Amino acid sequence: MAVSSPEGQGQFPLPKILTYPSSTPPTLITQGAEGRVYKTTHLDPSRPCILKYRPPKPYRHAILDARLTKERITAEAHVLARCAREGVPVPAVYATDPRAGWMMIEYIDGVPVRQAINEFLGKRPETDQEKVAAEETDNVPLIELLRRIGATVGGLHGTGNVHGDLTTSNMMLRPFSTTIAAEGSKARMVEGDVVLIDFGLATQSSSEEDRAVDLYVLERAFASTHPRAEKLFQHVLDAYEKSFKKAGAALAKLEDVRRRGRKKSMLG
Amino acid sequence: MALEKIQLDLVAPGQEILVAFFRDVSASASELLQKQLFARNPAFEYAFIDATSIISRAHLLSAVFNAVNAAATDSLRTPNVHSEIVISLGPNNNISDAYRRWGIQAGKTSNLIVVKVLPTTSSESDPSSPIPSSPEQVWAHLKEHLQGATATPLTDDELSKTTDWAAKIRKYYKLNGVPALDAIKDEVAKRKEMERMVIMAMALREL
Amino acid sequence: MSTGTVGRKSTSRYFPPSFLKYFKRKLKWSLKKEAQSSAVTPPSAPVPPLSTGSSLTKIEVKNKHNNSFTTTTPRTHFDTADSPKMTSSNPSQKKRRIALGCEGSANKLGIGIISHDITTGEATVLSNIRDTFVSPPGTGFLPKDTAAHHRAFFVRVAKTALSTAGIPISEIDCICYTKGPGMGAPLTSVAIGARTLSLLWNKPLVGVNHCVGHIEMGRTITGADNPVVLYVSGGNTQVIAYAEQRYRIFGEALDIAVGNCLDRFARTLEISNDPAPGYNIEQLAKQGGRILLDLPYAVKGMDCSFSGILTRADELALMMKQGKKGPDGEPFTPADLCFSLQETIFAMLVEITERAMAHVGSNQVLIVGGVGCNERLQEMMGAMAAERGGSVYATDERFCIDNGIMIAHAGLLAYETGFETPLEESTCTQRFRTDEVFVKWRD
Repeated sequence: MAVSSPEGQGQFPLPKILTYPSSTPPTLITQGAEGRVYKTTHLDPSRPCILKYRPPKPYRHAILDARLTKERITAEAHVLARCAREGVPVPAVYATDPRAGWMMIEYIDGVPVRQAINEFLGKRPETDQEKVAAEETDNVPLIELLRRIGATVGGLHGTGNVHGDLTTSNMMLRPFSTTIAAEGSKARMVEGDVVLIDFGLATQSSSEEDRAVDLYVLERAFASTHPRAEKLFQHVLDAYEKSFKKAGAALAKLEDVRRRGRKKSMLG
Repeated sequence: MALEKIQLDLVAPGQEILVAFFRDVSASASELLQKQLFARNPAFEYAFIDATSIISRAHLLSAVFNAVNAAATDSLRTPNVHSEIVISLGPNNNISDAYRRWGIQAGKTSNLIVVKVLPTTSSESDPSSPIPSSPEQVWAHLKEHLQGATATPLTDDELSKTTDWAAKIRKYYKLNGVPALDAIKDEVAKRKEMERMVIMAMALREL
Repeated sequence: MSTGTVGRKSTSRYFPPSFLKYFKRKLKWSLKKEAQSSAVTPPSAPVPPLSTGSSLTKIEVKNKHNNSFTTTTPRTHFDTADSPKMTSSNPSQKKRRIALGCEGSANKLGIGIISHDITTGEATVLSNIRDTFVSPPGTGFLPKDTAAHHRAFFVRVAKTALSTAGIPISEIDCICYTKGPGMGAPLTSVAIGARTLSLLWNKPLVGVNHCVGHIEMGRTITGADNPVVLYVSGGNTQVIAYAEQRYRIFGEALDIAVGNCLDRFARTLEISNDPAPGYNIEQLAKQGGRILLDLPYAVKGMDCSFSGILTRADELALMMKQGKKGPDGEPFTPADLCFSLQETIFAMLVEITERAMAHVGSNQVLIVGGVGCNERLQEMMGAMAAERGGSVYATDERFCIDNGIMIAHAGLLAYETGFETPLEESTCTQRFRTDEVFVKWRD
């Protein structure tokens, strides 16, 4: 086995676990306020995984810091486990070490939904005439994807959890185990299961308000990321409505949230 | 030698993980091993695992990984890394349940997985010591006490032959009535999903 | 914190019916004593009987006790190392614009005069006068009493501001006032004062958003160019970043403001409100630290909430008074409570700020608002910013705490882009979101 030297983690020291020998070197994928996300392997090279590391915050009292790190890893792992049992596509949890501040989860092979949609839209006919002619049939694969997004989000809400940061960047498009659309076709670009990722801000909640805010955040993110498909967003909501029992109430609340914006009005 | 040396990713260096799989273990052998375990005989410090409660290598090795990591971070909940491997297979912190369900059962366990974590930093092995300290000694020691048992390669194929899905896996990991599993028709896919859930349950054991 | 005799203490918890009469009497008394306006009473000093009353009307003319402003020379320039922009400029005629700003959205009445160099845009503080309405320990400031204070002191503070600045009225270009957000009655009182000056001197009015005032003053004083702003005061808790002509609110408190949480907890512990409840909590917290008491930690994305923490802190304070033991089996003290409260709520503030910084890709953070004076908050924010390879910018109490100069500064920036508030529209509003203001003066 090759003992690899870690690379790609820039200025940050690796968490201790990632300094141990591994068949593939860890790579830093993102660095956010929450912590750092590495790609590495669980057990052996056949099991690629993501290691989410929450480093200690130097500004925080050590006791409070340890408590929060543990609480958050626990909360995220529980939401993932709950979703997995209920059949909502999410990464599996492979291992956790709340004291060391890390959690290993399944690596989802595929592209972010954001990228898939933009690539699909990028191939749309350019002229207006072509657009109008093609629109009805052309968008069918995209609409199907949007419906899968709605069903998945509904499935998540049905488990009594909300995501807290729904965007098309926080969804992966995992290729179907058996593909349907032809190789190289446009439909192939948006084919696959929608897998929700990054549950760092997820919370247990069954309130209509929280569900509506989740949808509103997604709606706003969708409009700014995919302006050309903005009017198709309704398909997400249509599929959402059919996905679980209380979906109608959440959609009614979404109207309120849209009117006032995410924030409530403020007293000085 | 059917003793396999396992190299796990992201495990602190300085230790060797050895595994072996025996079928047709006699009742007297399982009785003896359990007795030595209860007596805390240091020569018999192994993780003895009943293979009918194990799905696959990934299932077993996830527990080994978790236990070795616990040992490396000084957070063992049991006396040593070997007992920790056994309880790491459980979905909760009920230690006696874990020993009963995944550990060796006298007279009952005829399919046995043995895991030994050997420190590699130890000085030259002393052949006269009763405590095996090299892979060769471990293998000799196991063969001596598991006479008549069939050493079997530890593969997913071989493991799946002895897995008791209904009475053990589904029950121990509470997989009955789980919507995600009931939705899967294909039996192979269903078992793959069960393995995922089992590893997840183990990962959440302490949370 | 002793408030003197037991008899006084019982009446100092709330405003008795006779309070207003008493208050007015003290006003007359203090008008006579105006010349000997006192320095800030050290919080540990025993407060003599009746002094809770006298502290109500104490004039806090900060510049008289502060070296940076202590001078008899007119047109003193604020000039420190952390304010490279605030260098002296030669104030010859028509080379500068001058604004007078009036602030009174809460318990501070502040009037300040600022000048902007027309060619360089450099800002110079000519005067910055403040008078704080301090309520007795265990009480908060009520709108009507605060408004009465502002009305009573408006003329005097304005006169002091003018004489300190040493400029003729004719040089003033506009009168700026706080339009909101804030407490209705005090806002209205000061707006009336501003309108009066406007009519009296025939100067245009400029209504200013209080939060924008804090931000612009903080940017100018510290030289932070495009920071993420944490605005923390008794009435507001916001994480703000500038984008496309607006100060956009990324995160905020979903219930009470952080300063309100601190103020109310000071009331629970009956800590003195002089010079400010938060200041006294900070001093007490420095004595704590033996243990960290468990308080809820309520961060939700970039938002946070403080009411649950206050409830729990109040419960712990009650347990303390009943002699119950802490988690380590030892009794805990007000200092332990203050320490735990600060550690918890400041960690929340730093966390939501960090999240906003990661979101907008900035590594500068500016803290403004009264709570921003807190050194522990500044220290924690500094540790976070340093880890991100950035730095924290903060101002001292002259600019952190509500003041008139920030209103003058932000108002003058708007005025220079052609903005004026016609007299008939010179209203106040308790609700006035930071992101409602069109920031024409920035790119």
